[in-house]
Amino acid sequence: MKKWHWIALGVIAAITLVLEFTLLADYDSHWWNSVPAFYMLWGFIGSVAVIFISRWLGKLFILSDEDYYDR
Amino acid sequence: MIVELISIPAIILLLGAFALPLIPERLRSSSFIIFPAIALAVLWTLPEGSHIQAPFASYELHLLTVDALSRIFGTIFALITIIGGIYAFHIKDLGQQSAALAYAGGALGVTFAGDYFSLFIFWEIMAISSTYLIWARRTETTDKAGMRYLLAHIVGGGFLLTGILLHLNSGGSFLIDALPQDYTLANVLILLGVALNTAVPPLHAWLADAYPKATITGAVFMCALTTKSAVYIMIRLFPGWEILIWTGVIMAIYGTIYALLSDDIRAILSYSIISQIGYMVTAIGIGSELAINGATAHAFNHIIYKSLLFMAAGAVIHATGKSRLSELGGFAKKMPLIVGLYMVGAFSIAGAPLLNGFISKTMITGAANAAHLEMVILLLLIATIGTFLHTGLKLPYFTWFGEDKEEIQVSDIPKNMLAAMVMGAFLCVSLGLFPNLLYSNLPYAIDFTPFSVYNFVEMTQILLLTFVGFWLFRNKFNISPSTTIDTDWFYRKPANLVFTVFVKFPALIFDIAEKKVASAVDRVADVSKNPLNYMLPTSPKSPVYTDGFTSPLHLALGLILLSFLIVSLIVLL
Repeated sequence: MKKWHWIALGVIAAITLVLEFTLLADYDSHWWNSVPAFYMLWGFIGSVAVIFISRWLGKLFILSDEDYYDR
Repeated sequence: MIVELISIPAIILLLGAFALPLIPERLRSSSFIIFPAIALAVLWTLPEGSHIQAPFASYELHLLTVDALSRIFGTIFALITIIGGIYAFHIKDLGQQSAALAYAGGALGVTFAGDYFSLFIFWEIMAISSTYLIWARRTETTDKAGMRYLLAHIVGGGFLLTGILLHLNSGGSFLIDALPQDYTLANVLILLGVALNTAVPPLHAWLADAYPKATITGAVFMCALTTKSAVYIMIRLFPGWEILIWTGVIMAIYGTIYALLSDDIRAILSYSIISQIGYMVTAIGIGSELAINGATAHAFNHIIYKSLLFMAAGAVIHATGKSRLSELGGFAKKMPLIVGLYMVGAFSIAGAPLLNGFISKTMITGAANAAHLEMVILLLLIATIGTFLHTGLKLPYFTWFGEDKEEIQVSDIPKNMLAAMVMGAFLCVSLGLFPNLLYSNLPYAIDFTPFSVYNFVEMTQILLLTFVGFWLFRNKFNISPSTTIDTDWFYRKPANLVFTVFVKFPALIFDIAEKKVASAVDRVADVSKNPLNYMLPTSPKSPVYTDGFTSPLHLALGLILLSFLIVSLIVLL
């Protein structure tokens, strides 16, 4: 990831935030819409959660050796 | 009647499957594409209604029932068969080509079947013909995987047929129609049979077991046809069954977790199918007009982007001969076009705005919103995050970017494979930009626009921060060679035990019994040689030589014959 990649992503994020606080300022279709930038939070929390939950489940019982069924 | 039969799209493809061996090899690949193209043209000229009936015992088969729902599914099945045919244009394996056509014929047959028996027949044609696409690899591993795949589908077909017979026996309609939401044995068995083909956990393990082992081109047909034709039947039979709402959510998350753990690129994509079908199953469970439209549109889009992803994964395997993330990495510059085409599919499946996944995913979310299922929305978003993580980030990152594992030899990709991928990517983009192309052909006429500021903000924010999460923890992913233990454990691991109990043990018993009987026979034979030995234990234990009796016997028999002659001469003269 080069620096300008991050800048581009930052610009897109800023655009979504501007849109959210101007055009969508009075929307309330869900209870979570009162949380500012909720979908950013959910995206981050969700990604970290699924990465670590799947990793934990993998260690718990899902992952096994490559030749598991051939032994 | 015969002429009428040829207007059935499924029959056109099945005829094609039988005609291919008669066509010269150099024309075979082109002919392969012509049959689904004819089927596509035919199904668009057919008006709605039931067109062909045939008597069957005391029932009447409805072989060609057309409405908006069957037409849109028929369209995508025929379309993907054409694209798959282009992708497989360089293949010279007649068995694979015929099997693929018959398989697509089965899918089209299921789509236009108006009654349960026609449905069942085409359902089984699909199961059998698709198995060959796994066996065509001709290795010991794929032979076994194909057999497991076939057995799983035979079990599913058994559920379906038993359910259908019970359904008919209890006075149910012979024609396919939505079933009332009663958990009778018949309904439950039909649901289980359909759920197995829809890959609902725990009946899903056949999918992730078999698809990564199919041939490169075969997997493209498989990822498009079996599960989506089952989704179609689920829409027909079980719309609004509430159990499906949460079943779908569980599927979506389940597939995501396994896809995040898998190491084989096509295994990741296979588990991702299960996750995506979860969306459709949830929508079928919601059952509103918007939800059914959403499930249909998502199935349509899913077939396009998933086959594009499978085609790109196939191109990687074709070019490098490797399929595991642990063996791949660092050669994006050697196949930039493939990477680009793959990313179109990956962003589509993740639901990025202006691509086709977005226009159907938002429809399902909209339907869940209208039904006030807020937890469902949040959990499906988690599945979306997971989808972007495994298909959009993990797979391409560790396949093409990441560190070089070893020097990877990249061979050229046939032009036809590239052309098929370009077609898939073109469809992803054009449907994403002009959703009305698809919306105007959905089963219900409703007003829906995916391009709201809300939807754009939602998806963009989710995907951006998912990327950040990935980048921070990208070294936490499993890319070591591994097996993911799934519900196929229950029939694969005990296989040795079952073999021991039901084959080895009886064989051992028979072996012992055979030896005992044989030795008893030997003893009896021994005794009958000279019974005197046993009657008079004191007599010498010497064998009896029959030669010693020969001359007296000759004499006795000669005398008997002579006296017989004399007596007969006296009597006759």
